[in-house]
Amino acid sequence: MTLVVLLLVPLIAAALLAWGPARTARNLHATTLAAMLGAVLLVIADVTRDGAVIALDGLLRADPLSAWMVGLIAVVATLAGAEALAPGHGNVDGEAMRRFYALFHLFVFTMLLAVTTDDLGLMWVAVEGTTLASVFLVNFHRTRASLEAAYKYLLICSVGIALAFIGTVLVYFADVQQFGAEAHALRWTTLLRWAPQLPPRVVELAFVFLLVGYGTKAGLAPMHTWLPDAHSEAPAPISALMSGVLLSVGLYAVLRFKTVADVAAGPDFAARLLVLLGLASLAVAAAFLWSPTNVKRMLAYSSVEHVGLVALGLGFGGAWGVAGALLHIGNHALAKSTLFILSGRIRDAFGTADILPVRGLVRAMPVTGRGFALALLALLGLPPFGLFVSELMILGAGFRGGWWLASALALVLLLMAFAGMLRALHHMAYEPGPPAARREAPSWAGAAPVAVGLGLLLLTGMAWPPGLATALARAAAVLGG
Amino acid sequence: MTVASNLLTFFALAITLLLVWRRSWPGRLRLFVAQSVLLALLAAVVGMLAGKRELVVVALVFLALKGWIIPRVLARMASGTPARSGVAPGQSSGIALLAAGTLVVAAYVIILPVTASATLPTADAIPLAFAMALIGLFVCVTGRDVLGHVLGFLVFENGIFGLAVLATYGLPGLVEAGVFLDVLVIVLLLEGVVMQIRQEHDSLALDRLRELRE
Repeated sequence: MTLVVLLLVPLIAAALLAWGPARTARNLHATTLAAMLGAVLLVIADVTRDGAVIALDGLLRADPLSAWMVGLIAVVATLAGAEALAPGHGNVDGEAMRRFYALFHLFVFTMLLAVTTDDLGLMWVAVEGTTLASVFLVNFHRTRASLEAAYKYLLICSVGIALAFIGTVLVYFADVQQFGAEAHALRWTTLLRWAPQLPPRVVELAFVFLLVGYGTKAGLAPMHTWLPDAHSEAPAPISALMSGVLLSVGLYAVLRFKTVADVAAGPDFAARLLVLLGLASLAVAAAFLWSPTNVKRMLAYSSVEHVGLVALGLGFGGAWGVAGALLHIGNHALAKSTLFILSGRIRDAFGTADILPVRGLVRAMPVTGRGFALALLALLGLPPFGLFVSELMILGAGFRGGWWLASALALVLLLMAFAGMLRALHHMAYEPGPPAARREAPSWAGAAPVAVGLGLLLLTGMAWPPGLATALARAAAVLGG
Repeated sequence: MTVASNLLTFFALAITLLLVWRRSWPGRLRLFVAQSVLLALLAAVVGMLAGKRELVVVALVFLALKGWIIPRVLARMASGTPARSGVAPGQSSGIALLAAGTLVVAAYVIILPVTASATLPTADAIPLAFAMALIGLFVCVTGRDVLGHVLGFLVFENGIFGLAVLATYGLPGLVEAGVFLDVLVIVLLLEGVVMQIRQEHDSLALDRLRELRE
C-alpha cells in the first residue's frame, strides 16, 4: 500500500501541475517534495521490517536493493527540487516553471517506478519513460546547443533502450520455451526461481543486449556519447537528477538481469563484461578529464568515470565489491548533485560555464565557492568524505579477487582524472580574478542543500549511521554479494 | 503456420532491403508502410493460428499506429523539406545494400543460440526478423538527416516487433501497451525537435548540428 502511495504522489502532482494554474505551481512543487519524502521513509521502514513489500498483486515489489535506490532518488530529488525553488532561477516566466515542475515530478515518478516494479517488462517501459520525461527538460533553455543535446539524447537512448528490449524479449523467450506461457513469466522473482533451468547460451546473448542497452542509459563507455551534452545543457537541478540517480537507475536495470544471468550462465560471464566496460568508461573519462574546458562537461565526464567504477565493483563482486559499488552509487549521487547545483549558480553568476573565465570563485562567492571546492575534493575521493571509503572497498575487492591488472589500471586512470580536475579546481577557486559583477550574499536557503550533501558525505566517510551497514549488506545480498 | 510466417517475414525483409536501396523520401515512406502492414498481418496470422486472441488485438493496434498514425506524422515532418534527389555524396546504394546483405548473414550467426533452442513452428523466421532489426539500426546510424534517423529507428522497432511475435507470440499486454505508447511519444517528441531545428537551421541535414564538440 505504501508503495502505491509512493508512486501516486509524484504522478498526481505531475498531472495537477500540467493542468493547474501557474500561480500555485511553486507551492504544489514544494508540498509534493515533502509528501514524497514522507512516503519514501514509510517504504524504507516497511522494507526494513519485512524484508520485502509487495503491492498490486506483486506487480510492485520493493526489496532492500529497491529501498536503497528509492532512498537515493528521494534525497537527490529533494536537493534538486529545493534548488529549483530558488526565486528567479534561470530567469524564466511562471508558465515555463509550471511545465518544468510538472515534468520534474513525472521524471521522478518514472525513476521510482523503474526501481519498485517486479515486472521486468514494466521496468523497461519505466526506464524508457525516464528519457521521454526528461527530453524537454534537457531542452528547457531552448538554445541551439540544448536542442542538439536533446536530439542526441532522445535518439541514442531510444536506440539503446530498444536494444535492451531485444534482450528482454530473448529472456522472455527463454522463459516461455522452458516453462510455457505463464502470467508472471517476466517477473524478476519468477525468473530468478527458474534461472537454473534456462538455456545458458540464450541468457548470455540476452544479457549482452541488456548490458549494451541499459548501459547506454547508465552512461557506460562506449555508449556514453550522449551524456556529456545532455548533462551539461540541462538546467542545473535536472543535471543533478540525471547524473546523480538516473545513471544508477540504468545500472540497476542491468543488475536485476545480472542476478538471473549469474545463476543461468555462471557468474564469470557478466562479471568480465562489466569489468571490461568499466575500464573503458574510466579510460574515456580520464582522457577528457586530463584537461577539462567546461565545468558542466567536466562533471558529466566525471559521471562516466564513476559509473565505470561502480561497474568495476559489481564485476569484481564479493561482499566488498557489491556493497562498495552500492555505497559508491550513493556517495556519487550526493557529491555530484551538490556540484551540479553549485555549477548552475556559478553559470548564473559568471554568465558562462567555461573554466577559463571563472576565477577567484572563493572570493566572489564565499558559500558557493567553498562548497564547490569541498564537494569536488569529495568527488575526487579524498578522505574524510564517503567516496574515499567506497573507492577503497571497490579497489580492495579487485585486488583481493585476483583482478590485479584491472585494479591497477583503474587506479592509474583515477589518478589521471584526479590530477586534471584538481588543476581545474585550483584555477577556478584560487586564481586571482577580476572582481565579480555581483558578490554572492550568503543565505541559509543557498547553503542548506550544500550542507546537507556534504554532511551526508561526511557521515558515509567517517561515521556510518546505525543501520547503514545492515541496509548495504541486505541490498548486496539481493545481488548475491 | 510455418509457411505463412516464413513467407510474410521474408517479404517484410525484402521490403527492408528495398528501403535501404531507395533514396527518394516518399518512396521510402511507402515502403515503411508496406512493411508495417505485412508485420501486422504476420501478428494477426500467428495470433489466430496459435489461438492467442490478444495478439490479434495487438496486430490491429500496430496497424493503426505504424501503418497510419506514424506515417502521417512522418509526412508532416517531411513536408517543407526539399526532396533530396539522387544519392548523398560519399554513400552509394550499392555499398549500403551490400552492408545490409552482410547483416542478414550476421543475424543468422548471432541469433543461433535462440534458433537452436526454439521448438516453435515460427522458429525459422526468427533470424529474418532479427536481420530486419539490424538493418533498421544500420539505416538509423548511417542516416544523413533527421528523417533518415527516424525512419531507421522505426524500421529497427518493426524488426523487434517481428522478433517478439515470432519468438514469443507477443509479450504480456501491459508491456505491449507500454511499447506502443513509447514509440508514439518518441515520434511526437522528434517532431517537436524537428520543428525547432527547422526554425533555427532551415534544414534537417545534420552537418549543421555541430555546436557541441570538444
